[in-house]
Amino acid sequence: MQISLDNFSRVMKYAPLFGRGLVVTVLLSLVTVLLGFILAFILAMMSLSSVKILRAVSTVYVQIVRCTPMMVQVLIMYYLLTGIISFPRVFLFGYIEVGRFIPAAISLALNSGGYMSDVIRGGIEGIDQGQTEAARSLGMTKGQTMRYIIIPQAIKNILPSFANEFVTIIKESSVCSVIGVAEITKQAQNVQSATFISLEPLFVATFLYFCLCFPTSRIIAYFERRMRASDQR
Amino acid sequence: MTSDNIMIQVRDLKKYYNGDRIKALDGISIDVNRGDVMVVIGPSGSGKSTFLRSLNLLEIPTSGQIIVDGVDITGEKIDLDKFRQKMGMVFQHFNLFPHKTILENLTIAPIIVKKENEETAVKRAMELLDRVGLADRAKAYPVQLSGGQKQRVAIVRALCMDPEIMLFDEPTSALDPEMVGEVLDVMKELARDGMTMVTVTHEMGFAREVGNRVVFMDGGSIVEQGTPEKIFESPESPRLQDFLRKVL
Repeated sequence: MQISLDNFSRVMKYAPLFGRGLVVTVLLSLVTVLLGFILAFILAMMSLSSVKILRAVSTVYVQIVRCTPMMVQVLIMYYLLTGIISFPRVFLFGYIEVGRFIPAAISLALNSGGYMSDVIRGGIEGIDQGQTEAARSLGMTKGQTMRYIIIPQAIKNILPSFANEFVTIIKESSVCSVIGVAEITKQAQNVQSATFISLEPLFVATFLYFCLCFPTSRIIAYFERRMRASDQR
Repeated sequence: MTSDNIMIQVRDLKKYYNGDRIKALDGISIDVNRGDVMVVIGPSGSGKSTFLRSLNLLEIPTSGQIIVDGVDITGEKIDLDKFRQKMGMVFQHFNLFPHKTILENLTIAPIIVKKENEETAVKRAMELLDRVGLADRAKAYPVQLSGGQKQRVAIVRALCMDPEIMLFDEPTSALDPEMVGEVLDVMKELARDGMTMVTVTHEMGFAREVGNRVVFMDGGSIVEQGTPEKIFESPESPRLQDFLRKVL
């Protein structure tokens, strides 16, 4: 086995495939993080509810998500969804297969939502109890207190973890290659098959993931610092 | 005194923690009359804050009744939020909303709870803010204010809801000594205007000067109560005598 410039130049003939993979990975991660956030928010509200059943459902859900492998979750969701719904063979931008993209996004979101719900709950519980007391003493209902007083403050605590989750999802989305979503990892495998070169396509994929994740995490760190500074006004 | 004059009747109020091992309130019965300036004193851990917080059910009592305007608010099926609107509360640590400006702190409850229009709410908030000398800080955020200013804003925030009674939970305990006066001045003015007030405080000067009733609590019970003169000049119970020796 050898790594050679010659191999790289043969692999780079397939640059457009990697480009498409990049678009799919970014799109998949964005959709996931948005859906995941909504789910996480609902789960967090359930876990903070005074209704016992809602709390139990939320806990059970989060534990199932955390204690089973993501790849299995993705596979199950793919066969489940394609079994129930027959997705039309539609291709977004001509190369994103909807019938694979949607199950992938949903299963990633179901997973990410489970992890993020704890972060959101922590952010809400981190707000001083006095804030709730002040709001309630002014006659606000529980819901109004959440909406106008607690959540706006909690968002500030939550936002950095939420952004970090985006970085995590970019990396974890590579698991969707098992159901044939043509994201970066899958495209690297495609190039492997086409060229019979095993290592170099993976290096290209690694480079692409790094180029996505490293700047993103730096940007997050920058905003985190700035937000902390503005707290000490 | 006629019963019309009674604003809050507290009957055998108990608050136990850990089953019944810790008795924060051990059977409190007292009436608050309209126009009363009641000052609750006592050593820390005597249950005085718990008592005050029970009055608007921030603390849920284990048993007993709190009857406000003839309605038992500890009963089921009570619109608690409606009752809380009648009772303004001021906290030791101010609890202003840090993500809102001073003006927004004052107008949010009138606007979303009472459905007042913004113009009315802002107008009254500015008037009240002016009365405590802070009209020029309306656009500032709580973090930019001193402790004394924050507490004056917190008082105004409660007043913006037009309460019938104001509850003060150690309003000067978290303040630097030089800021205590400015907050007490606002409270004195309120008392002079006839506001019904229940205040938990360590400021004996305030109790003596402004209060018309002083209640001494210890060990979750009311040990002695009476006019400031009686409590401070001729205390009867040994526990009160002991307490006064330590704080005066």
